Amino acid sequence: MTTSFEWSLPRGSIISGKWKQGSYRVERMLGEGANGKVFLVERAKYYYALKLGSDAVDLQSEVNVLQSIYKQKEKRGAKPGLFLVDVDDYRAADGKEYPFYVMRYIKGKTLSDYLQSQGKEWFPVVLYNLLGKLAELHEAGWSFGDLKVENVLVADYGRPELVDYGGATAFGKGVRQFTEIYDRGYWNAGTRISDARYDLFSFAVLCLKLQEGRRLAQLSSGLLPQTRTPDELAKLAATSAALKPLSGWLRKALYGEFASAREAAAAWQQWMHKSGAPSKASAPAPRWLKGLFALSAAVLATTIYLLLRTAS
Amino acid sequence: MRQILLVTDGCSNVGVSPVVAAAQAYAAQITVNVVGVIDHGDLGEFGSSEIEEIARAGGGLSRLSHTRQLSQTVQMMTRKTVVQTIQQAVSRELKQVLGNTSIEELPPEKRGEVVRVIDDLTETAKLKVALLIDASASMKPKLAAVEEAIRDLAISLSSRQGSSELAVFHFPGSAYGEDCMLDLDWTSNISGIHSIFPRLQMRGTTPTGPALLHVIDFYQKADYGNRKNDGTDGMMSDYVV
Repeated sequence: MTTSFEWSLPRGSIISGKWKQGSYRVERMLGEGANGKVFLVERAKYYYALKLGSDAVDLQSEVNVLQSIYKQKEKRGAKPGLFLVDVDDYRAADGKEYPFYVMRYIKGKTLSDYLQSQGKEWFPVVLYNLLGKLAELHEAGWSFGDLKVENVLVADYGRPELVDYGGATAFGKGVRQFTEIYDRGYWNAGTRISDARYDLFSFAVLCLKLQEGRRLAQLSSGLLPQTRTPDELAKLAATSAALKPLSGWLRKALYGEFASAREAAAAWQQWMHKSGAPSKASAPAPRWLKGLFALSAAVLATTIYLLLRTAS
Repeated sequence: MRQILLVTDGCSNVGVSPVVAAAQAYAAQITVNVVGVIDHGDLGEFGSSEIEEIARAGGGLSRLSHTRQLSQTVQMMTRKTVVQTIQQAVSRELKQVLGNTSIEELPPEKRGEVVRVIDDLTETAKLKVALLIDASASMKPKLAAVEEAIRDLAISLSSRQGSSELAVFHFPGSAYGEDCMLDLDWTSNISGIHSIFPRLQMRGTTPTGPALLHVIDFYQKADYGNRKNDGTDGMMSDYVV
């Protein structure tokens, strides 16, 4: 098996294509995936993300997926956006050839970083927008597959983008890449055959991960394989202060009861409108506050009693 | 496509060399993958070089894995091997059609078409995986993780478009000198099966080589049975020990 290559490209290195001679100047490394490294590169004053792989077949397979998603979106009249800019091979200093492809650079933070820095009040709208992204992909006939916190970047004003299409799978085929804790099969909640419900299941786990990350990790490590069920996840949602109002929605996503991401998005929107802006007053009072209230009530009662007694 | 996945945590110590047995499997068009399960680094240097050798002779992959990563490792190896097998077949075809050209040498557009064929076949080709589990005494605490990995692999296999089957063996078989025992005959759905290894008696010896030969035999008798008396599985059930 070809493992990820060891070397890295310092800032200023030039990656040029063997077939089409496009050349790109390396700015920095953005991240590392299962089958390659992604760099921020510049060409003619524009920034792009360039993925350099070590296995030609592996990387080409990903390129094929991106191309068919692009074509299917185009056929439907949707604006596919600048998906793939270039596909080529790069002959490195070690004499070996590495395949690469170039795509749009998305300037954003990962989902959890975004919510941490911008505040949890962005949670409903960002996740709603994410459902819209999934719906677009589903309508082209694909599931995203490996939906997780790390694969969602959020740009300004809560606009999410899906990154790393290594798991994207045409409906009806076996999901190509997944992460255990987000996986329907892992939770004994169904197959790994790609469909809209597969992504919606992962989406529900993503919500749990964002709001109750620690409890989710404890739950999954504490259960035996046979006792991992969607019920356990639904229970976790129902006992979470932050997710309680959403628990009905999450339950439907976990049990595959939404027919499509559009339907799920509509239900999500209803919840957003019903709950309005998540105000502080609607948050349940913490126990210490309740205790304090009881105490002060008691003190008040005693004071009144004493006052009345001295008055009489 | 036919694979054997050997899950072990130590060195073979009885009978024919497992490397020779793996070479025989490869000759019979069965790819052999090996996972070495290490929990406290208890697979000695000798053991890890043995699993590498077995996989190399069997045309497959070898990996060391902690029980926690076992499911993922088994998944990954099975899938990778399918892709590789198909890739090799497609490369051979390519060489015949285009002369001395590898997939990597094709320009990106042409490569795209070839890879599309590879991906399609990966998803649709018939696949059989025989899991061969080392059940010597030191594996006892790891068997729960092994069973989980088998169930997890079964979910993925049943989610493929092509027909997929798996069978499970453990070795050593019994006190009566059997090298290997069938726990689960070819099946495409194990969700109804309560326990894969009921009342397993753990024993000391590790006859990896003889057990591999046993599984190769099992594959070939199944072939023979299918050819000779199609429709019945008389040969196979006769063979079940």
